[in-house]
Amino acid sequence: MPLLELDSVTKRFGGLLAVSNVSFNLDSGEILSMIGPNGAGKTTAFNCVTGLFAISSGAIRFDGSSIAGLAPHRITKLGIARTFQNIRLFAYMTAVDNVMVGAHWWMKERVWDGAFRTARARREEKSVEQRALELLELLGLSRYAGSYAREMPYGLQRRLEIARALATQPRLLLLDEPAAGLNTQEKRELMQLIGVLRSEGLTILLIEHDMRLVMEVSDRIVVLDHGEKIAEGSPVDVRQNPRVIEAYLGTGATEVITSA
Amino acid sequence: MLERFLSLFRIDTGKRERNQGTTVFWIIAGTASALLLMGWLLPWFVNDYSAGVGYSAQDALVSSPTGIGTFCIYIMAVAMIMLVVSPIAEAIARARGRAFGKRADRIRFIAALVGLALTAVVWFLVSVIQEEPLFGSFTAGTYTDSAVWLTMYGFAMAALAYGARDWVVARQSVAFGVAALPFGIFLPLMFHQAPDFLLWAAGSLAIYMLLALGLNVVVGFAGLLDLGYAAFFAIGGYACASFASPIHNIHLPLWVLIFLGAAVASMFGAVLGAPTLRLRGDYLAIVTLGFGEIIPDLATNNVFNLTGGANGISGIDQPHYGALDFSTSPRWYYWSLLIVSILVIIFLRNIERSRVGRAWVALREDEVAAAATGINTTTTKLLAFAIGASVSGLAGAFYGSIVSIVSPDDFSFSVSIAVLSIVVLGGIGNIVGVILGSFILTFVIFWVLPNMNEWTTTLSTTVHVPALAGIDFSSYTFIIYGLALIAMMLLRPGGLLPSRARRIELESGEESESLAAVQGVA
Repeated sequence: MPLLELDSVTKRFGGLLAVSNVSFNLDSGEILSMIGPNGAGKTTAFNCVTGLFAISSGAIRFDGSSIAGLAPHRITKLGIARTFQNIRLFAYMTAVDNVMVGAHWWMKERVWDGAFRTARARREEKSVEQRALELLELLGLSRYAGSYAREMPYGLQRRLEIARALATQPRLLLLDEPAAGLNTQEKRELMQLIGVLRSEGLTILLIEHDMRLVMEVSDRIVVLDHGEKIAEGSPVDVRQNPRVIEAYLGTGATEVITSA
Repeated sequence: MLERFLSLFRIDTGKRERNQGTTVFWIIAGTASALLLMGWLLPWFVNDYSAGVGYSAQDALVSSPTGIGTFCIYIMAVAMIMLVVSPIAEAIARARGRAFGKRADRIRFIAALVGLALTAVVWFLVSVIQEEPLFGSFTAGTYTDSAVWLTMYGFAMAALAYGARDWVVARQSVAFGVAALPFGIFLPLMFHQAPDFLLWAAGSLAIYMLLALGLNVVVGFAGLLDLGYAAFFAIGGYACASFASPIHNIHLPLWVLIFLGAAVASMFGAVLGAPTLRLRGDYLAIVTLGFGEIIPDLATNNVFNLTGGANGISGIDQPHYGALDFSTSPRWYYWSLLIVSILVIIFLRNIERSRVGRAWVALREDEVAAAATGINTTTTKLLAFAIGASVSGLAGAFYGSIVSIVSPDDFSFSVSIAVLSIVVLGGIGNIVGVILGSFILTFVIFWVLPNMNEWTTTLSTTVHVPALAGIDFSSYTFIIYGLALIAMMLLRPGGLLPSRARRIELESGEESESLAAVQGVA
């Protein structure tokens, strides 16, 4: 059984079809990339999966049960975490606190525990903080643990967002253009990181424009254009697919490329 | 010197959020000067001086030295003048790019200690062993006791400021607590000759401080602008009035009522919060403004015959436990409120640093990301409303008991605005800032401005300038208040003690969008 299933998902904004009849499956442990030109509906599809948008028709199933129409925090609890294309960190919280927010839903501490600072609450705070620091360590952010998210360098902010997403203990991680704005060195580190996450058994759905990264890390690729799925397959297949080349470079480009 | 001693009391102010800055230092140094001046001038200021010479230490300076006490007073005067003038001199020197050295601090620290000791000696000579009749005779109703206390406290604060300057700068919040708490505890003793002042401290200062602390949860922590906060104050007040007055012939004790008031108000907080969940910023402000208007209106219209209409509910019980008679002396209210306030402050501070507090800040910073990170935005917001309202309900219950009557006028829009002003002025989201703001603003609005006329009248007879008595300050109340707010926001937009986050936030001035707006349902 696939971990995530999109079954003819359609999202309409008034007259605009942002996502139209898109279906694909994502198996456990797989890395699937979604590519396509700007405005193809990739982020909209992400927002549908994470509950930020209600889908107009179709079905989204996670682990066999429908998640369409659930509130975002419920979907997070089921095991889907995400990052955002335009980084959405809690800018005026420290890096540790940002990560600790990720632990919010599974922490057992209640309001009165917090108010009275019970032994239980203190113990849990301490262990969660410890885990947050470990996550930061894993992502090479230890140095910035105490600084505000907005004071951190751009590339590290992207990584902090991944750390926060990982703190929610996800089974499926949605990365929305994680390499945007990163330099070559940072991209290489990101690829390594994705490799580590995969070896930990995490399933990843990736939106990315950097083709080298996409071709390298993906098991399969889904190509969207104007809200429709135009291709799906292994990196090699997709690279040679004429419709994909057309979508990216315009009609007639296939001949130029294949003749070259 | 003092620093080494203070560092023994390692009060943990949180590992990451340490609020450094010189604001509290200057406030302590300034307050020390002000207290010294007040201690010196209080007898002159409040009583008609023509009533007779012999009220204050000042008299000793115009008479020739007659004994040990007088010598002490001469030295005290030197220390006092040094401590009053030097902060001003230092501020000017700093403005011109020259700083005072460590040596100046050391000298002032010693001066403060000497002053403190000599004040105690003089007080001992005069009022305990009744020698050195240099102040003339003590008559009941003079403010001499308060003057001695103020002088001593002024010297002590100066000693703290100059003796442990680095510590004060590094641990602003703790330093503020160390300076303010003893004053708070001993206030009823210091001002036992001034029941009016005590009534202000309990009925206005403590009540408004609680209100501001509660509103700070909603506005400061969770970032939800609430303009109708007085509604919950009203609910607490009426809950107390209904269950402790002849109106329904129920008489519950006050300590039950404060929990009742808090519980009822927090329930209403959640109920009134529910329709506003999708709203943020200006829209939320308008809806809460509506609630703030509805509640007093319901009370005026005597809804369900429960509220007594425009006259309100009178004859509210005041507790009486043997010797602890709350109705005869406001000091018992004051101390109860002090304990309750300290507990509230501790609770709120704990919650701020707990799981829920983090969720509030996350919500304030980015609602969409918070939801996508697993925070239930609905319950988290309602929790902020409920906890904020419960503090207000608690304050309402105390208020009803103190003034013994509640009427719709007590909970008007101006209350909401005054509380919001305190929060903004003190420093949104910073508990210590909010406490400081409530000290200053309630002191100005509910003590200085109402008493201004009386003071100028006495002063005019004392210094023989009749024109002073002719100024009617009550007509300028709101002008002064308004100007203070404008000046404050221009000079320090983050408030007196902005939270660290707020300070950086101000520089960028971005606002987060609501989850509902992103989802397209609002």
